[in-house]
Amino acid sequence: MSARKIGFLILILVFGAVVETAWSVRENRFYFGPEGLRILGGRFYGPSFTFEESTERAVSGDQELEIEVRNSFGNVRILPGEGASVRVDLRKVVFRPTEEKARAFAERVELRFEEEDGRVRISTNRNDVPGRDKVGFETHLDVHVPATAKAVVGNDHGSVEVSGIARAEIKASYGDVHVERIEGPVSIEARHGDVHATELGAELSLESRHGDVEVVGVTGHSTLDVQHGALTVRRSATFEAKAFHGAFAAESVGGDLTLEARHAGAVIADVAGSVDVQTSYESVRLERIGGNVTARVEHGSVRAEGVKGALTAETTHDGVWLDGVSGRVEVAVRGGGVEARELKGGAHVRSRGDVSIDGFGGTIDVETESGDILLKPGRPITEPVTASARKGAVRLEVPAGSRFALEAESRHGELVLDVPELESSSGNGRITGTMGGGGATVLLTADEDVTVAPGGSALPAERP
Amino acid sequence: MSRPAFSPEGLTLGISLVAMGVLWTLSNLGQVDLLYTLRTWWPVTLVLWGGLELVDLAIRRAASREP
Repeated sequence: MSARKIGFLILILVFGAVVETAWSVRENRFYFGPEGLRILGGRFYGPSFTFEESTERAVSGDQELEIEVRNSFGNVRILPGEGASVRVDLRKVVFRPTEEKARAFAERVELRFEEEDGRVRISTNRNDVPGRDKVGFETHLDVHVPATAKAVVGNDHGSVEVSGIARAEIKASYGDVHVERIEGPVSIEARHGDVHATELGAELSLESRHGDVEVVGVTGHSTLDVQHGALTVRRSATFEAKAFHGAFAAESVGGDLTLEARHAGAVIADVAGSVDVQTSYESVRLERIGGNVTARVEHGSVRAEGVKGALTAETTHDGVWLDGVSGRVEVAVRGGGVEARELKGGAHVRSRGDVSIDGFGGTIDVETESGDILLKPGRPITEPVTASARKGAVRLEVPAGSRFALEAESRHGELVLDVPELESSSGNGRITGTMGGGGATVLLTADEDVTVAPGGSALPAERP
Repeated sequence: MSRPAFSPEGLTLGISLVAMGVLWTLSNLGQVDLLYTLRTWWPVTLVLWGGLELVDLAIRRAASREP
């Protein structure tokens, strides 16, 4: 490459860099704080000095008190206090090169405390401080309130902690939220921060964007909406959740669980009630579910173990694995196979891949394309079994003591009957017969081989 | 080495200057957002240049095969 071309390439790239930089500046992607103090992650950096002051006021205690706290660039803590009073500890952090300059500025920062009609408003004069555009400063508030109070908190660029009071409504951005031991309903809206909600005695309504969420020990119904972060729920009651672009995990849920997810995997264990989950581009894993299960996954798989109710699973581009389902199973798989063990309540399976069911009872109806079917009953066959494989083979193992009427057809393969007790007659690629005097209909159809052999599942009749 | 059929970088520069002039004028007339348009479309300059280099190479190869 000639020097002329290299120079021209550099010219174009420099031009592009200038344009991209100008765009970033216009979109406020570069932000420099007061006097060159850079704000990174919503915080000031540089030399700073701290100044503290406290205010305590008696409040009327004959009605539910609402404490409203507004703040930005600083942390807010709401704590249970003593008696019918509100105490505010204000910690001012001023980013100035010398303590003298910092103190002079800090004296201009004041606490605002207003009370009217059972409502207390706490804030600072941040927006009115002279010279605030040229000095970075943080205001951290510790508010001690009566334990029967309701807190309404709005905070930007700082964390929020609320504990030990009656109710809470929180809106926060660019900071973590910690809420614990709240007796009444809790509402949380969080942006760009993690949320931890622990030991709540009533309903929880939570909306989070860009942060992980952990919910533990909520005894009321929860409504959770989490985007761009992981959602974890433990030891909680019934809840509905949305989880987009993250991960979801739930453990020890006392009631029903409903999850609507996208681009999020789900791991769900020990649920007393029913589970209804749908997601995409990730997989769903379910263990020890006390009620019914409905799982719909696009571009992902479903694995379920220990389901006491019925199960409905639909997947695309991946398969379904089941182990121990007591109720009826309905499975539809597009682009994957099905592998199942111990389906006690029968199954209806539609698949585009191999299907294997090891240990089943009840009515079985399996249809697959481009795959084989293997059926191993867990007990003698006395109920209808239907298996149809296009571009594949069918094998049915027959336990001793089975009673059924057989119809088997192989379009392009062989019909193999290896059960001495089966009385059969054949012709034109079809076999009909009876075992144990007949009974339920067993209908086997395949493009390739159809095999009926003695056997059955080797799994124990009842697993622990 | 045969003589280049044309200068790809010269042609690219010329087309880019014309495009910039047109865009700037339209921006002055309030018809387009100059920065947004430049930020979106400036990589096309590289595509244009690369394409012209390939065309130039093909022309020179064809010319070198002629008796």
